[in-house]
Amino acid sequence: MLLEAKPAKLIGYLLLAAYLFFCYLMVEITLQYIPINTDVAFLRIKQDYVGFMHYRLAFFIHALSAIFVLPAGFTQFSDQIRSNYPALHKYAGWFYVVITLLLAAPTGFVIGLYANGGLSSQIAFCLLAVVWFYFTAKAVFSIKKRNFTAHRRWMIRSFALALSAITLRAWKYVLVALFHPKPMDVYILVAWLGWVLNLIVAEFIIQKKRTV
Amino acid sequence: MKMKLTKPLLVLSLGFAMSCGNPQSGETPADTTAQDSLAQAVTESPTAPTADKNPDGIGGLYVGAFDAVEYNEKKKPSYNNKITVSIDSVLAGTLYGHSIVAGNMRPFTGAAKQEGKVYTVTVKEPGDDQYDGSFEFKIYSDLDSITGTWTANKKSLAVTKRQYALSKKEFKYDPNLELPDFLPRNELYSEKNMPEEEYGNYEAMTDDVLKVNASKVLLKKSDVENMHKGDLEVIRNSIYARHGYSFKNRRMRYVFDSSVDWYIPLYTDVRDKLTEVERKNADLLKRYEAHAAKYYDAYGR
Repeated sequence: MLLEAKPAKLIGYLLLAAYLFFCYLMVEITLQYIPINTDVAFLRIKQDYVGFMHYRLAFFIHALSAIFVLPAGFTQFSDQIRSNYPALHKYAGWFYVVITLLLAAPTGFVIGLYANGGLSSQIAFCLLAVVWFYFTAKAVFSIKKRNFTAHRRWMIRSFALALSAITLRAWKYVLVALFHPKPMDVYILVAWLGWVLNLIVAEFIIQKKRTV
Repeated sequence: MKMKLTKPLLVLSLGFAMSCGNPQSGETPADTTAQDSLAQAVTESPTAPTADKNPDGIGGLYVGAFDAVEYNEKKKPSYNNKITVSIDSVLAGTLYGHSIVAGNMRPFTGAAKQEGKVYTVTVKEPGDDQYDGSFEFKIYSDLDSITGTWTANKKSLAVTKRQYALSKKEFKYDPNLELPDFLPRNELYSEKNMPEEEYGNYEAMTDDVLKVNASKVLLKKSDVENMHKGDLEVIRNSIYARHGYSFKNRRMRYVFDSSVDWYIPLYTDVRDKLTEVERKNADLLKRYEAHAAKYYDAYGR
């Protein structure tokens, strides 16, 4: 038992380190836009749209709010935090939910309407925003009804989609390094790959918990 | 760049002063177009002196490969650049001209000895540029061609001697000129691409490079957003190539000097010659190139 527990713990720490590393990368990406700048990074190839007030507003609200979802969401799956510091779990949870439902998901939908790569990636990103909103809202309603099991499941799904910020960029990095695809080809691909696979993994985790 | 233009200008105005005595001899109407484009190339002035300017019709642009014959392999020589030799005027046995190669425009003067249809020429570049040297060549007025050698002043250069066989060409800007069909899958030079390196770092052009003509059509975002950086670069630089821009940059020189038949290096700056469509397209292409360079293989979008 003791021998089995150790590698599990090690994997846990490795996952935590990887997560912190990716969060750091995301912070770096976000900081490119501060102070507010429409001629850097991703926005350099969105010049057709940065003229629209609603696009600019949506983009900056999305980038500057969604970054907080990553640390807020992560702590919620720790058993220790939930049982030892229930207040922290509750407040961090509200923080995650409010940012997602009021800021990050709706603005994600607006940006998704203008996604690079045409209809396929537009549908991918808009659908992601809608499903993310829906899962998160479901998680709120279920905890209001004190249905902890449902709350847990919806939150696993919601956070899996929040993680798409990290995974879609990681997929892009890997695919480019391996196959040198054309920029929009890879963009369209990861627009789907980045969150659909996460959702499949989330369902596996939910199924596993169910059988345990 | 402006500095380099002043010397040929001086040569021409000198030629003008000396030829004032006997105007309008020796020029035929057939020569006018070549002379006009030449005059623009050198001085931007609409009128050029007439007398002795073009004896036997040897004046004009001669274009071809400038091949290294003596070189130091360790210094990464550029083996075959494309050169334009411009014969500007011949006055009392002295030939005035200039050459444009690898983004470097240099005047030269020296003796020209005529024997029948052949001129034997020995000319020197001014000597105040580290790449200056001297040319020895023969102009075959009946064949419209030049053959000869060039020897560097400085013996420590990567290339100290080159040879060339050039043929007379006329330069005319034409937006309809297209890149050759065989460009896709040709390698793009980069400092990182060592010859012994594995396939992994090899960068080549793709079919996309032939998809659009950026001198003809105003490009949209959707035309360029799915292209690799190398293709974007070649498409943008083909705009400059059509205007006769002589590339300093080795990566583009290797494409245009060796593979593009119609390309004539003639100017070291063509910015003010671009059409409105070309200017807009160059900006758009440049934007996507810069984005690709910074973000294509980075963690992010």
